[in-house]
Amino acid sequence: MTEMFSTLFGQNEAQGPPGSSSLGFGPGKPPPPLPQNQASMTGQMPPQLGDEGPALRKPGAMNEPFYLLRELPVGNELTGNTNLITHYNLEHAYNKFCGKKVKEKLSNFLPELPGMIDCPGAQEGSSLRSLIDKPPVCGNSFSPLTGALLTGFRLHTGPLPEQYRLMHIQPPKKKSKHKHKHHRQQDPLPQETPSDTDPKKKKKKRDDDPDRKKKKKDKKKKKNRHSPDHPGLAGSQPNSNSLR
Amino acid sequence: MAEKFDNLEEHLEKFIENIRQLGIIVSDFQPSSQAGLNQKLNLMISGLQDIEKCRQQLHEINVPLEVFEYIDQGRNPQLYTKECLERALARNEQVKGKIDTMTVRDSPRVTEIPLQ
Repeated sequence: MTEMFSTLFGQNEAQGPPGSSSLGFGPGKPPPPLPQNQASMTGQMPPQLGDEGPALRKPGAMNEPFYLLRELPVGNELTGNTNLITHYNLEHAYNKFCGKKVKEKLSNFLPELPGMIDCPGAQEGSSLRSLIDKPPVCGNSFSPLTGALLTGFRLHTGPLPEQYRLMHIQPPKKKSKHKHKHHRQQDPLPQETPSDTDPKKKKKKRDDDPDRKKKKKDKKKKKNRHSPDHPGLAGSQPNSNSLR
Repeated sequence: MAEKFDNLEEHLEKFIENIRQLGIIVSDFQPSSQAGLNQKLNLMISGLQDIEKCRQQLHEINVPLEVFEYIDQGRNPQLYTKECLERALARNEQVKGKIDTMTVRDSPRVTEIPLQ
């Protein structure tokens, strides 16, 4: 009797609690009758099951010290307590990218590429995002152009229109200002020459030249206005001959 | 692995150089340049064929989409790697701080809790 009860423990366990009717186990349902062969086998089963635990119970419920107290999650050796960068051997990469100053522009990453690549791709319609949103037609094979197809590439002689000329022009390479500063600091000290050969004053003279030219032009214009030979003054001023 | 990238890089550089020379020919076209133009056009097609062959070797490589945003903005994609590493380190330090505050080592309260 006790042996039968233990073998049916898994089925009766679901039927025992009053809330188990929602699971489909009716409280009034009798357990299904076992055939005699299975009954004899079940008589032998409990001692074997006692070693492993009740096999009819769910595996997760086997280690429940208390009802609904599940197993704790298995502890992971790798946690945030360890330095993950050294764990995954990324020290070299970290020093390379974070130790040194990484330049901002795309042209510093691809210095050999021609054209103006630092501009946003969306302006010219050549962004990578548009390539993902509207992928091009693939699958067709590439075949070389025959003579008949090449006739479509006969171009007119002469230069391109101005709107298409900027495509192959590269942006001017900016020289760093620090180099000029070093030159400026070095040059005046060893030379000690008169002021005309000093680069600062030479540049000042060059800067002043266009201003000087403008001033000279203005002076000339003023002189010409006040001179009696200026043609513009013939109508404005009364003719001395006419008065006479 | 690096050889596949080198191979693709070489083909791309040749292709771009060919396109650049094609642009120079077209910018000031002369009738004598027609033969050279035809040759460059067929070179362009063979370059595309070579790049197509390289694609089969690199189909397993995944590139994060955020890198494309950097490139579209004209920014260095190495900045993305740098920011990823900095974020990972910051997050690692944050979690380590949480673990250090949460761990109770040799606390007298633990020994005083009676186990029934």
